[in-house]
Amino acid sequence: MSFIEFRNICKKYPGAEKNTVDGFNLEIQEKEFIAFVGPSGCGKSTTLRMVAGFEEITGGDLYIDGKRVNEMAPKDRGIAMVFQNYALYPHMTVEKNIAYGLKNMKVPAAEIKKKVDWAVKILGLEEYRLRKPKNLSGGQRQRVALGRAIVKNQKVFLMDEPLSNLDAKLRVSMRTEISKLHRELGATTIYVTHDQVEAMTMADRIVIMKDGIVQQVGAPLELYNHPANKFVAGFIGSPQMNFFDVTVKGNTVSFADGNQLILEKGALAKLNGRGGEMILGIRGEDLKLDAQNMELYGANSQRAVITNTEVMGNENNLYFTFGGSQAVARVSKYEISQIGDEIEFVFMPSKMQFFDKKTGENYIKNDAEE
Amino acid sequence: MLTKKQKRINWVLVIFLLVLSIFFLFPVIWMLANSFKPDAAITADMNSVAAFIPPMPQGNFFENYVTIIKDTSFLRYMGNTLFYAAVMIVLGIVVNGLAGYALAKIPFPFSDKWLLIILMLQIVPTETVITIHFLIIAKAGLLNTVLGYVLPMIVNPFNIYLFRQVFVSLPDDVYEAAQLDFCGPVKYFFTMVLPMSKTVVATVGVFTFLNVWNDYLWPALVFTSGDLLTAQIGLNAITSNENTTMGQTLAVITMITIPVIIIYSLFSKQIVEGVTSTGSKEG
Repeated sequence: MSFIEFRNICKKYPGAEKNTVDGFNLEIQEKEFIAFVGPSGCGKSTTLRMVAGFEEITGGDLYIDGKRVNEMAPKDRGIAMVFQNYALYPHMTVEKNIAYGLKNMKVPAAEIKKKVDWAVKILGLEEYRLRKPKNLSGGQRQRVALGRAIVKNQKVFLMDEPLSNLDAKLRVSMRTEISKLHRELGATTIYVTHDQVEAMTMADRIVIMKDGIVQQVGAPLELYNHPANKFVAGFIGSPQMNFFDVTVKGNTVSFADGNQLILEKGALAKLNGRGGEMILGIRGEDLKLDAQNMELYGANSQRAVITNTEVMGNENNLYFTFGGSQAVARVSKYEISQIGDEIEFVFMPSKMQFFDKKTGENYIKNDAEE
Repeated sequence: MLTKKQKRINWVLVIFLLVLSIFFLFPVIWMLANSFKPDAAITADMNSVAAFIPPMPQGNFFENYVTIIKDTSFLRYMGNTLFYAAVMIVLGIVVNGLAGYALAKIPFPFSDKWLLIILMLQIVPTETVITIHFLIIAKAGLLNTVLGYVLPMIVNPFNIYLFRQVFVSLPDDVYEAAQLDFCGPVKYFFTMVLPMSKTVVATVGVFTFLNVWNDYLWPALVFTSGDLLTAQIGLNAITSNENTTMGQTLAVITMITIPVIIIYSLFSKQIVEGVTSTGSKEG
């Protein structure tokens, strides 16, 4: 039995023409770490706030631990939440912020002290416990917010873009800390973010949303390797997946600029006889320049001139125009090319995705081949 | 970093303001200096600089003050007024604060229109409303009672507006966090909203104190008994008594001015902040 269950959840704001969240269905298992990802305005935060009880659910049913909670007050839902702007109590010290909920729960003073001591220790806040929030850095404030959430022993943690106000370096370290906390505490966690890297690195499963509608739910690699549609394919992964307008006729793929490649049997079978205009998608790392792949798939090799490069240290991104679109190849740090160089590359046949031009739906279904 | 020119302008401004402040301080210094003198000395010093210099402290230095304290009930009136002010500050902060909070944070039909109506009340002169207040209090049989004095004075449109302006900028997520910390709305108001808005609370407190301290008309209407009178009415009674000397008059005026000066000097920063505050808060 699932621990949190969304049954056709909808949210419509008064005066709005359409639902902000539409027909949201999801089952979350106990102790699972779920990330809601999507661009701004996709309804991910609204969904989270409906779980918290801060937004009224205008359609469908929400169950937490087997109980329908649609009309239940936030405090009775057994949840703890970490807010984007920390939402600390500015006039209270760190330890009072953390202890406040416990005090209101009438927990004995000795136990409160024990729990606060434990929280400040694991969050590395010992030397700041008597400081007020305004005298803390962003990372420290967010740790206080985490401390306030973890001491209450709630079964569900809700996190609303908790790292978005932190700088890049701190975000990486806090990501690790939150993952570690989740492993230690085992609370069911819903984590809202617009940063797909956070979702990919932390979550057991990711829910990708767009315009209030769930696009795909799955494990990070499942979403990465088998995106349900062009939106998911483009949203997950950095740099973004390359997309080319193509026409498929038989086993021949023709690009807008006249280049062609021949599909091998496996890819052809996945297309299941489909042809005509569609979108070919392939990730940057699946455009290969190395000798081994050139030897294997050289018959289908393509040529392009590099227009820009990004040297990342661990790898290089090579930008070029091909098939009428901008494209990027992610290559190893040893494959050095300069702007203006002509490169020869191949498409990894098994990694090609084909999307419907109108609906964006992925023609290649997830099967055992990968 | 200030440039030389800016520094020079600052100095000119400081000197100008110092000269200007002397004009305003003249009557206060004169009052203070003469409140320690017998009438004969006041008259003798009238046309000289000595009018602004207090006498050397001697045996009867405080005579005017001692007479006022011994022979009149002025200390009691001051005590009364302090008590009324304290009651009014507490009730004023709670009642106007709650109204301001409702207007700022609780959605209800026509809330913006309500704010407008409340602000419009501010335009109506006190003297117009006071007759109605008096009639209601008289009908309720509350004339010459503390309750009758305090009740109509609690609600203050300007204070509601001040509270509303500050509360509107309080972050909503703090309330949400408090809800998850098992804090109900009433507790939230008293333990979170008011402490987070110390500046406006101080401002409203000071304004209320000054209103009560300086009010003459309303207490003059409500109170008929000597026991409940306020300092301003006491002052009027004492100064209009033909047996009161000029020195004693100045002493009693000094006594009534001191609390105002203390309050202003303690809270001047908060008053300015409270009125000018945009309410932007940091996490």
